[in-house]
Amino acid sequence: MSNGIGASAVASALSISALVVVCLTTMLIAFYGLRISRTTSDFYVASRTVRPWWNASAIGGEYLSAASFLGVAGLIVLSGQSGLWFPIGYTAGYLMLLLFVAAPLRRSRAYTIPDFAQIRFESSPMLRKLTTYLVVVICWLYIVPQMHGAALTLSIATGLPGWVGPVVVATVVCVTVLSGGMRSVTFVQAFQYWFKLAALVIPTIFLLVRAIPQQSAGERAHSLYAQLESVNTMNLYETVSIILALLFGTLGLPHVLVRFYTNPTGQTARTTTVIVLCLLSAFYLLPTTLGVLGILYTPELGANNETDATILLLPGRLLDGVVADALTAIVVGGAFAAFLSTTSGLVVSLAGAISQEFFNGTVRGFRISTILATALPVLIAVLTSSLALAGAIGNVFAFTASTICPLLLLGIWWRSLTAKGAIAGLLTGAITCGLSLSIGIFLPTIDLWWVHLLRQPAAWSVPLAFMVMIVVSRGTRRAVPQNTDRVMALLHVPDPSRNS
Amino acid sequence: MHRSDAGPQPQPHEPPGRFAQQRPQRVRVQAPQDASLLPPNQSPEHTAEEFYVRQLIRSQLRLACAVAAGLLALLVGICSLLVFWPVVSIIQLFSIPLSWWVLGVGMYPLIIVAGLLYNRAAARNEQRYRSISRG
Repeated sequence: MSNGIGASAVASALSISALVVVCLTTMLIAFYGLRISRTTSDFYVASRTVRPWWNASAIGGEYLSAASFLGVAGLIVLSGQSGLWFPIGYTAGYLMLLLFVAAPLRRSRAYTIPDFAQIRFESSPMLRKLTTYLVVVICWLYIVPQMHGAALTLSIATGLPGWVGPVVVATVVCVTVLSGGMRSVTFVQAFQYWFKLAALVIPTIFLLVRAIPQQSAGERAHSLYAQLESVNTMNLYETVSIILALLFGTLGLPHVLVRFYTNPTGQTARTTTVIVLCLLSAFYLLPTTLGVLGILYTPELGANNETDATILLLPGRLLDGVVADALTAIVVGGAFAAFLSTTSGLVVSLAGAISQEFFNGTVRGFRISTILATALPVLIAVLTSSLALAGAIGNVFAFTASTICPLLLLGIWWRSLTAKGAIAGLLTGAITCGLSLSIGIFLPTIDLWWVHLLRQPAAWSVPLAFMVMIVVSRGTRRAVPQNTDRVMALLHVPDPSRNS
Repeated sequence: MHRSDAGPQPQPHEPPGRFAQQRPQRVRVQAPQDASLLPPNQSPEHTAEEFYVRQLIRSQLRLACAVAAGLLALLVGICSLLVFWPVVSIIQLFSIPLSWWVLGVGMYPLIIVAGLLYNRAAARNEQRYRSISRG
């Protein structure tokens, strides 16, 4: 990736100071949290005392990653109307999470997805191991694009070399997670949602005020319409496959699920999710607007495959001088808030999974795991170059939708699921989806049906994983665990703490 | 290492216990109504408690599937409509095609309303379970 503009000294200075402010604030809030969190339980799930609004802001902060902040606008510039499906899918994915997972998972008292697998199938350590490995793979796949985003943002805004961004993000994340665990992460995430929202609201208002009176009404109508319709869109199969991947992928994301354990009851977990839906909807209107502006003012990025830089470059295209530099700096700050929040959420769940699996879940193990969890993605990110961010994240969603999602859905709702069935389904989903995605990366974008099938596997790999899980469970129906009824009651019976 | 409030062994919550005291009465009143929903003879000595939990799970699942199916049908429907009936994008509003308004702005309120309605209905299902289990 090359940086499109030569950043002026003032612009770089402003961007770097925005970056420093975000990083310092994040760390300050984390240290404030350090004084509160002391026990292992604090470390993992903030002692389950987080209120719905706080928790919802934190979930929003955690979920809105590089793909949402930079990628959505970029994708709209790249593929026009089809790009609009991504934010819809990200939001609707949360609705699916509310419908099928939020309350039961909270009641399961599991900390991580492997914990859930263990609660449901006590007698199968192999299933627990397999889910742990899947969680590790998913987290790493998800962290790498964040690091790519950091490299892109920093090199465009300041001209610094590509490795600086990932290293800054990794360092700040390590410090915040190590110092306070989940409790401070919750505060940090909640703060970062509102910060990200502000970091897009302010530039959007400035840019709209500038852009709207620029052309006369008739001329504007003509050119806007022509440009919006001229962008290449995706075909029906690809669009449906992406919708499925995003809808079913969200409910398997490890860093999203870990958030639900911080709700006091199942009902508050649901309330939290509804608030999250509102927060996400409010947020996604902004990158959508900026994407439309991007089609008008930075259309050439689509040809160079640099669309992820759209939001960073727009202020410079529409405005001049200090105002443009200041707006760019705000966007840079917001983008780093996005990288930091998503990465720290992922690192918490990744470190949680690794430390429970290999270090018996001690605080010291959690610390070692945190360092392991951040170091490797930095290395990968520095060595590889980025795909389109929203597209890369879309692939991760397809992978979780074909693996963790069937395990959770069938595990929560279908009492006849067996450990063997779950393992078979997980392996099928992981292998088919993983293989076809990795082959798809190397294929050119040509309009052949089998290329589409490989590049967007969710539409067939998700049903396949479900089917294998169901068929194998049916075949091994004697192996249904003895305690299934008790576990089902645990998952679904409303919490006793609410006096009714 | 010590985990204060959760262990690998799941402990059922309080309601089934409370509920067990009411057992005989409840079997008489409710069992015939939805007996057809039970999987055939899985466990003959199947207590009323289990029966009500199964009922609760079933009603929650039915509710969730209904909302999800509606959402999926809506999304895939709109998607195909735009592909097979491009007229939608010829209509303009403030010089932006209607399809952009529908996808960019219009879908979010629908998703939120679906979430709110589901939330209320799910809480109602649980309320019903609670009132039954208390007798």
